[in-house]
Amino acid sequence: MTRASTGDLTAGPTTTAAGHGPRTGTRRPGTATVLRWEIAKLAAQSRARYLLLGCLLAPPVVVAVFAGQQPPSDTIYGRHIHASGFADALLILAFAHQWLFPLLAALVAGDIFANEDGHGTWKTILTRSVSRGQVFAAKTLTAVAFNLVVLVVLAASTIAGSLLIVGTQPLPGLSGQLIPAGTALPLVAAAWATAVPPLIGFTALALLLSVLSRNPTVGVATPVVLGFAMQLLSTLGGLDLARRLLLTTGFEAWHGLFTEHRFTGPIAQAAAVAAIWTAVCLVIGYLSLRRRDITGG
Amino acid sequence: MSDVLAVNAVDLTKTFGPLTAVDHISLQVAQGEVYGVLGPNGAGKTTLLRMLFGLIRPDGGTLELFGRSWPRNGVHALDGVAGFIESPKFYPGLSGRRNLQLLAGLDGLDGPSAATRVDEVLDAVDLLGRDRDKVRGYSFGMRQRLGVAAALLRAPRLLVLDEPANGLDPAGIRDMRALVKRLTGSGLTVLLSSHDMAEVEQICDDVTIMRTGQVVYHGSIAALREQAPAQAHRLATTDDERSMAAAHRMGLDVTGAADGGLAVRGSQAQVDALIAALVAAGIGLRGLALSETPLEALFFMLTESAPDAPTADLEPAATTGARR
Repeated sequence: MTRASTGDLTAGPTTTAAGHGPRTGTRRPGTATVLRWEIAKLAAQSRARYLLLGCLLAPPVVVAVFAGQQPPSDTIYGRHIHASGFADALLILAFAHQWLFPLLAALVAGDIFANEDGHGTWKTILTRSVSRGQVFAAKTLTAVAFNLVVLVVLAASTIAGSLLIVGTQPLPGLSGQLIPAGTALPLVAAAWATAVPPLIGFTALALLLSVLSRNPTVGVATPVVLGFAMQLLSTLGGLDLARRLLLTTGFEAWHGLFTEHRFTGPIAQAAAVAAIWTAVCLVIGYLSLRRRDITGG
Repeated sequence: MSDVLAVNAVDLTKTFGPLTAVDHISLQVAQGEVYGVLGPNGAGKTTLLRMLFGLIRPDGGTLELFGRSWPRNGVHALDGVAGFIESPKFYPGLSGRRNLQLLAGLDGLDGPSAATRVDEVLDAVDLLGRDRDKVRGYSFGMRQRLGVAAALLRAPRLLVLDEPANGLDPAGIRDMRALVKRLTGSGLTVLLSSHDMAEVEQICDDVTIMRTGQVVYHGSIAALREQAPAQAHRLATTDDERSMAAAHRMGLDVTGAADGGLAVRGSQAQVDALIAALVAAGIGLRGLALSETPLEALFFMLTESAPDAPTADLEPAATTGARR
């Protein structure tokens, strides 16, 4: 090393901290600053960029493949995919809720806390004037915001791709009625929007597993496995109450939008269930992070 | 400079299950002081520093940094404090500069002031030429220096370094010590933990020596030096038995070394006289080398003796330092 003077490095530029301590060279960041830091970190991850790119490009490809095949008539809206582009958008939504939404929710959220353990960077972050609450809030908001962006990109790409490839013909309703294109478009968009509450619920679940397991693989894979388990459970008879409390049930709440007499009760119920899951997961995750001794990472 | 202590720890205790990692330790570091915490691996140094940074909670005792405490002030306790615990860690897929830019953002620096500051600290640790390389390509020594740069970003008044030369090659150790010495010359308060007596001796004014979670010595390096035993030499001869007898007759402290030869402790004049006597008696001298320094010898005596061994012959520090 060749530098001769470091004297100026300990005389920082800014504020006097509260209390009777020393003048400090940096100021304590607010939660917005920590949020910007977390977003900048996420933006630097190629995985996040590839995921968004995949959500943008994959749906039109899938629709194009469906267009050249026999329709999957045993799946909701499967038999109508050659008749209306709106049906394709709903078929993909139905497929997505089986495993894609839990996976999309977990890809970033399941890793966002655990990767600090993996890199050993907790002590790098927490030896600065940043509280664990701020870090938790920033990571949670980043994961939720990113997953909402993913959902919007996936929905927009799916709907636009379906309509461009197959067309904007009227959509057959679940009661046999025909829904004109002008009505079908907002209904299909609303159907995709009903995925928001359970998606946030799965995001919170992945965040919790990321905090507790300190292992990115567990944080990402477990929500997908739990999603499958919930769907399996929901097929069993005699479990109506339990079925209503499952996160995956909310992914099917859009069906009522496409009957002749629309009903939105399941959507409200799914939102309430997702809110409970989200609150419980986030509270446990926060308390766990707050009380944790950082001994390794 | 304010009279408020940079570090004021009183009766700190931390247990992990049945293990008491830090056992009722008190430690006071004045502003501007360069303070060493010395001890073998497992002595509790890192646990002490983790409590200082709030990474773990003490089970007992109080800890203040510049008059602020974690229970009273939360993360404000770390205002003016920076450093690293064990080896500093960064995001390996990002460049050293990008890592520092992210941390500057966390410290509330942005825009041109952040860029200037990042340049300054990279220059200070001599990483400007490699700042755009990904951290995963950095050597251990470069990461250590990046850790110091990350700490300096905060323009700290108290710099805490946990074994900064640990794992470095000899050139890296030399560079790291030179860097720390330059920093201490700027009036910065430094709390440095190490298991290397020579490192602490070169850099620090005062020292606390720990063993199994307890303090076995605290005070100035100068006072410690006065109480250290004589310099030890390793001696290899053609007749170790007669050589040992001769050394005993001349009043030297001599023992057989475990791996052969003799360990002789005494003043330089006594050792010179012994060698002359051995040669005169026809005993061939096959090797003579300095072994541990007196301070190292004292460190080993303090940290390798039985846990309940008295240390009363070592005088405590008067105003600053640690006590049990």
